[in-house]
Amino acid sequence: MKSFRLTKMLLLTLTVLFPLCFYLIFQVAPTERIMGDVQRIFYLHIALAISAYLGFGVLFVSSIIYLIKKNPYWDCLASSAGEVGLLFATLVLITGSFWARPVWNVWWTWDPRLVSMLILWFIYVGYFMVRKAVSEKSRRARYSAIVGIIGFLDVPVVRLATKWWRSIHPRLDRQEGGLDPLMVKVMLVTLFTFIVFASIVIFIRFRISWAEERVNTIFNEMEVSHG
Amino acid sequence: MLTLIDISKNYGLRPVLRGINLKIDKAEIVVLFGHNGAGKTTLLKISAGITPPTRGRVVVEDQVIKQGGIYYLGHKNSLYSELTVMENIRFFLSMRNGTAMVNSIEETLEEFGLWQRRNDPVKALSQGMKRRLALMKGIISGASLLMLDEPFSGLDLGWKDRVLNKLMALREKGTSLFIATHLINEGCQIADRVALLERGNLTLFHDKTEVNESLIQERLRNEVCR
Amino acid sequence: MKFVGNTLSIVKKDILLEFRAKEALSIMVFLSLLLIVVFNLAVDIDKDNVSSLAPGILWVVFAFSGVLGMGKTSLSEREDGAYLNVFFSAVSMEVFYIAKVISNLIFLLFMELFTIVSFVVLFNYDALIKGLPALTLPLLLGSIGFSAVGTLFSFLSTGSRFGEIILPFLFLPVVVPVLIAGVSATDLILNNTTGGALLKWLKMLAVFDLLYLTVSLMLFKHIVEE
Repeated sequence: MKSFRLTKMLLLTLTVLFPLCFYLIFQVAPTERIMGDVQRIFYLHIALAISAYLGFGVLFVSSIIYLIKKNPYWDCLASSAGEVGLLFATLVLITGSFWARPVWNVWWTWDPRLVSMLILWFIYVGYFMVRKAVSEKSRRARYSAIVGIIGFLDVPVVRLATKWWRSIHPRLDRQEGGLDPLMVKVMLVTLFTFIVFASIVIFIRFRISWAEERVNTIFNEMEVSHG
Repeated sequence: MLTLIDISKNYGLRPVLRGINLKIDKAEIVVLFGHNGAGKTTLLKISAGITPPTRGRVVVEDQVIKQGGIYYLGHKNSLYSELTVMENIRFFLSMRNGTAMVNSIEETLEEFGLWQRRNDPVKALSQGMKRRLALMKGIISGASLLMLDEPFSGLDLGWKDRVLNKLMALREKGTSLFIATHLINEGCQIADRVALLERGNLTLFHDKTEVNESLIQERLRNEVCR
Repeated sequence: MKFVGNTLSIVKKDILLEFRAKEALSIMVFLSLLLIVVFNLAVDIDKDNVSSLAPGILWVVFAFSGVLGMGKTSLSEREDGAYLNVFFSAVSMEVFYIAKVISNLIFLLFMELFTIVSFVVLFNYDALIKGLPALTLPLLLGSIGFSAVGTLFSFLSTGSRFGEIILPFLFLPVVVPVLIAGVSATDLILNNTTGGALLKWLKMLAVFDLLYLTVSLMLFKHIVEE
């Protein structure tokens, strides 16, 4: 049960990292001049966003490998990473709202980063829609891999397009001058914590998914030999 | 020409094909029998390369590709219902780079009883005519390996025998055929070798004389009663 | 250059099919008209706001109409398994994809031209006609982008249980950059500002097209296996 031990170790590190992280965010990090305490959600928001992109990155790479090798292992990994990525992306969009409302008195802005996260969210809802729409396993894997690849490639393009678009129109200015060096340190710790967290969740989800897959295979082989 | 190596296929939890091995040689007709739902269609689709197997490999010899390729006919007819008979044929041949043939199909169209309707849209044809057109395409395709799934289904009276003869004529020219059918009589008539698919397992009868209709019918009946 | 010939055969077949069936194009055209009318009822377009609203409305209509039409064009291939004509031929799936992209592109451009003319007529917006020569490039590049993504996803969705219904959900998020660039470019042209900004948007469209044509070309063959 090697992998189980690894999971336990990683979970253990999280029991240290998470409290540390929250302590840093709420006690150590300086209060932002303009926005006040509510700005602290910024750390979680960014960390969640990067973790979401990580999830989708794993989905992208796994999808490509699946199409080359046709091994269901990679399809399992892709969909597990996608689930986690989608969850984190949803949280990003929600925490973004929580931040924006008290600070600028709006629920949403058409900021390039938010827009590209929103579009990515739609793309991955589409990914799971396709998985729902195809019942045959190998076809489902292939079709969703295609959506995952096309979708992921779109993200930088969407990002660039919205950035250019926004630079023409007047926008809700987001003051982001230099960050206090202490803030940067807190950000890095939070980032690290969440990346570890996201990786563990993807890993656990994948193991469940893969175990299901292996049980099915064993079941089939029993059927074959006992005909 | 075509070799199936240890082909297995599962749909979800259900195994449909179990470890199938089969080799189809040049200029031979292999007929596949089995109940509806036994997996004949699946096996044919896998052999044709339309469906991937869960395990195993399909090996197609190079010479098959070089000498005209494969023609597959499934339950559907692969026709464009809004185009006419001639337009469908012309398009089909252009894909196979044989447009020169278009001028010499008059006779073949007559033989298949489609000459009169050659400028009618396919949607105006009867089921039997559509099937005949699909079969005709297979015969003029120049393919070296034909895979036909229930080719006789929907054919009007009298056409079954004519089609049978044409398929046998193809074999004389060196074409191989892999045919799945539930018509035991016709199948045994045309076959060089017979294969029986029972609950995912393939039984091959190498010697055609071993096989006769009553044997197959008996096997299939046992299948049902089990 | 055999593949050019094959591509043209497929495109010709598609145009012939559309000419007969009048399905995809007529739906696209009528939907465009309907959408413009609905937009006017919702937003009340008059000569003061028409130049600022036109780019957005036009491209939304192009996208929605386009996605519906492209969904239909893959149906004729899937319905009776007609695409197997190409699958089992010497013509590769890459050529098939390119041909389909071209066919869809032609239909899209027709629909867009019709939409523009309708818009001019309904709102007396002459600037649109004057700007038409300059608009051809963004229209062409944007439509290529729509077609590249739409063709791929159209085949994907018609191969699923839900059919073309899921096509908009897949298509629209992915073509967001095309919409943004198209609208921005159109806006710049109609409001007479040109120069560096326009070039930037055209470059974005070109990069999108190149990226998605290449990637979809490589991915397409994975869709047509059953």
